[in-house]
Amino acid sequence: MIPSIKQSRRFYRVYHSYLVLFFVFLSAPLLVVGAFAFNDSLFPSFPWEGFTFDWFFNEAGDKVGILFDSELLESIALSCGIAIVTTLFATLVACTNAFLFERYDFFGKSFLYVLMLLPLVIPGVLLGVSILVFSSQVANYFEDYWLIDLEFLRPGLPLVVIGQFAFITTICTLIISARLKKFDRTLEEAALNLGASPLMAVFTVTLPYLKPALIGAAIVSFLMSFENFNTTFMLVGSDAPLTVAMFERLREGSTPVLNALSVLLMLGSAVLAIANMSMQKKD
Amino acid sequence: MGIIFLSDDIMQTPPIDLACENICKHFAQFTAVNDVSFTIPKGSFFSILGPSGCGKTTLLRMLAGFESPSTGDIKIKQTSVLNVPPNKRPVNMVFQHLALFPTMDVAQNVGYGLRRQGVAKAEIAERVAAVLQRVGLPDSGKKQVSQLSGGQRQRIALARCLVLNPTLLLLDEPLGALDLKLREQMKIELKQLQKEFGTTFVYITHDQSEALVMSDQIAVMNHGKFEQVGTPHELYYEPKTAFVASFVGDSNRWSGRVTQQTGETLQVTTKDGLTLQGVAQGGTFDDASEVDIFVRPEAIHVSRLVPQIRLDNQLECTVNNILFDGAKSQIIAIEEKSGGRIMVAMPQTADFKDLKITDTLYLTFSTEQALCFSHSQELDDVDH
Amino acid sequence: MSTISRSRSPIKLGMWLLLAPLCLWLLLLIILPHLELLTYSLSAPDEGGFTFEFYGEFFGESLYWRTFLRTAVMSILATILTLLIGFPVAFFIAKMIKGRSKGILFAMCLIPFWVSELVRTFGWMILLRESGVISTALQWLGFIDSGVELLYTDATIMLGLVYSAMLFMVVPLVSTLDSLDDSYIEAGYDLGGNNWNILREIVIPHAMPGIVSGCIIVFMLSLGNYLTPVLLGGKDSLWFTEQIYTQFITRFNWEQGSAFGILLLILSSLIVWLGLKVTGQSFTKTMG
Repeated sequence: MIPSIKQSRRFYRVYHSYLVLFFVFLSAPLLVVGAFAFNDSLFPSFPWEGFTFDWFFNEAGDKVGILFDSELLESIALSCGIAIVTTLFATLVACTNAFLFERYDFFGKSFLYVLMLLPLVIPGVLLGVSILVFSSQVANYFEDYWLIDLEFLRPGLPLVVIGQFAFITTICTLIISARLKKFDRTLEEAALNLGASPLMAVFTVTLPYLKPALIGAAIVSFLMSFENFNTTFMLVGSDAPLTVAMFERLREGSTPVLNALSVLLMLGSAVLAIANMSMQKKD
Repeated sequence: MGIIFLSDDIMQTPPIDLACENICKHFAQFTAVNDVSFTIPKGSFFSILGPSGCGKTTLLRMLAGFESPSTGDIKIKQTSVLNVPPNKRPVNMVFQHLALFPTMDVAQNVGYGLRRQGVAKAEIAERVAAVLQRVGLPDSGKKQVSQLSGGQRQRIALARCLVLNPTLLLLDEPLGALDLKLREQMKIELKQLQKEFGTTFVYITHDQSEALVMSDQIAVMNHGKFEQVGTPHELYYEPKTAFVASFVGDSNRWSGRVTQQTGETLQVTTKDGLTLQGVAQGGTFDDASEVDIFVRPEAIHVSRLVPQIRLDNQLECTVNNILFDGAKSQIIAIEEKSGGRIMVAMPQTADFKDLKITDTLYLTFSTEQALCFSHSQELDDVDH
Repeated sequence: MSTISRSRSPIKLGMWLLLAPLCLWLLLLIILPHLELLTYSLSAPDEGGFTFEFYGEFFGESLYWRTFLRTAVMSILATILTLLIGFPVAFFIAKMIKGRSKGILFAMCLIPFWVSELVRTFGWMILLRESGVISTALQWLGFIDSGVELLYTDATIMLGLVYSAMLFMVVPLVSTLDSLDDSYIEAGYDLGGNNWNILREIVIPHAMPGIVSGCIIVFMLSLGNYLTPVLLGGKDSLWFTEQIYTQFITRFNWEQGSAFGILLLILSSLIVWLGLKVTGQSFTKTMG
């Protein structure tokens, strides 16, 4: 079971083959998505028509490469914008939440903590529809009684940001709290002792300590926002972020341009993942 | 005491519970255990004493079956157990941090091994209650492990093993995590329990006091080898190597050169400039060979007046510092002629109550109390 | 204790400043929207007032409640399967290897999840469709004569659900198993235990918080999943989130959709609560 307890050779053989199968299972879909990005065919399936970069670089014709597919490119830009705004807000609020829960005792703290965790167990679709219903009601109210049109409360990009923020904040709070928990309060006291004001102590000692967690939370938040479908789908207006645009394309029947796009996304994620890991390692 | 044990052994020669034959354990980079052989008679308390990293934990884990020796054989009751997995060996272990299962209460912990043996429920309850009674915690069965104090946990960890009547009980520095007072108390308790149950204990520790107080036999281990195996008495009074002399008990140690030899007796001039008479240990020495000379602080006679008795080593010193520690107080003295340092135990008599720094002291000890071993570089490295 | 918590007034101010964003977030984006969802589902659209009509519709139309039950059962099944498949992997990573290879293997578990669910699902479509990789490979090997459609079955949906939730099972399992000191397992062996009962009496009780939190998250993700059933299950996937989506977007019947939403919320809360109750875990401890 553990290295100090020897098992029969058959046990290890079965166990290791199981693990190999497991990793084949995990990687197979990604490998085929990647491979068919280079198939010189109009469909991402067999037969293999030869190797091509057309699905990346071809400018026009049957095969429009991802770098010239303006619709998809726009949706990527849109998703990036949404993700950046969401990340900024989510990380900021998560940071204040972490300080609140780790540093203060107040009436109803444990109740608020449970509430804070709730978004983890609310299906994303529900979060989307409840925010959709609520914001529409509020917008209707303002329109009917005050004759003010609150455009941002109607389905559209601002609402998508609000919906994603609602659950991503919880995850960021957990990431930042975990590191703040490990912070040695005497360091802050030392700063106070050396003449810093409490706020200065936080900015000069605590926040630098939290930096890896803040960056980690920001990366996770960016990816979660970028990849989110369930909540986004309910709140989106006429502009389609990447996941929604891809979904529509998939339903219509896909061309290998989606494979090419996926390859680019994998590369992007890999860069972020490596950045995150090296961040944690320095720690 | 040691003499009594020795004669007991000779008269009864109890059967051998454990025999290790030429055990080696090599890891990729180093050798943890290097050709160790020993036997342990039934019912005895055997300790393996050594500094951290000396290989004692590896040796113990081989006895338990969590490591297997690279070469050599382990026999329990004359039968090799090399091919017996840990869960089938008649050996139980008290882990360093006890490893009491936090998800079970005390009775479930103690009954764990019995359940594995398929003992009937009623009998398990009975035997668990009996063993809890014997370790002095009769009503703790329903308690959670987290509710117990450190000393109680020790006893539960023991009970969990003893209820299985193992041939050997292995203990991996179980007292290490306790505070000093409790450790002193647990030493006595452990020894008492061992006697009552009559189980063979193999105890590993780096704390010489634990080993000296509890053991019938001690093996001093260093760099994967046994330096000496003997009773506590033998190790203390007749160390066979410089390492044992320095590791067991306190010692003054000086490095120096042999300046004169008459039979077993050496005259040594230390680097500090002291001239001392000592007994050669572990072989003969050439003139001018480098030696380490060991004298126990408590073996030195201290007097504030010029002593009446004449011994081979006579030093006139001034008090340089007093390390007051109640009964274990020590004096650091400087010999006036050479400036050499010497540590002595402070006698707890009225004479020394008003001893001050710069007072004069007369130190005397016999040749037999100064043991000379050939110089050990390793001990130098530890000192500096 | 510390200087910071002793001094009074600036502390209070600081606390309120930190409390404000938390409360606004929870109130405006979590509590009020769900309350609104509830009132919306209970209000009659035209004449106003209170009605159970939309819940009646749910119980009256067998397609609705069948889809509901089917979604619940399949989600539970997916959770169990994910646990069974993920546990040996998590145990291997946490307990059977050390050092570099451990980190690498753990990272390998995470890599598929750095790309979106959409891409992963797309991958399965390429693998499983009639003209897909597996079908072609089977033909080429001579096991079948013509292409075989592996998409659009319940088994495919299950495969997709298990696949997309695996990470959320493996990570909490690895972290709880990691915290189990080897000496507990060794003590179990030393006292005569074997693989099976050590797993049952020592490893699983210790890993329970991780198992429960993994199961809760996997269950929620499966229940709320939309992409996998729609893309891998096709037209007849009959997943409850699809019904909600249809009511809101296609039929524009928000009242009915809200009622479905509330029902799904009740179902998920109920099952999570039951799971915690049965295993004796606390919500804050497992999720926080």
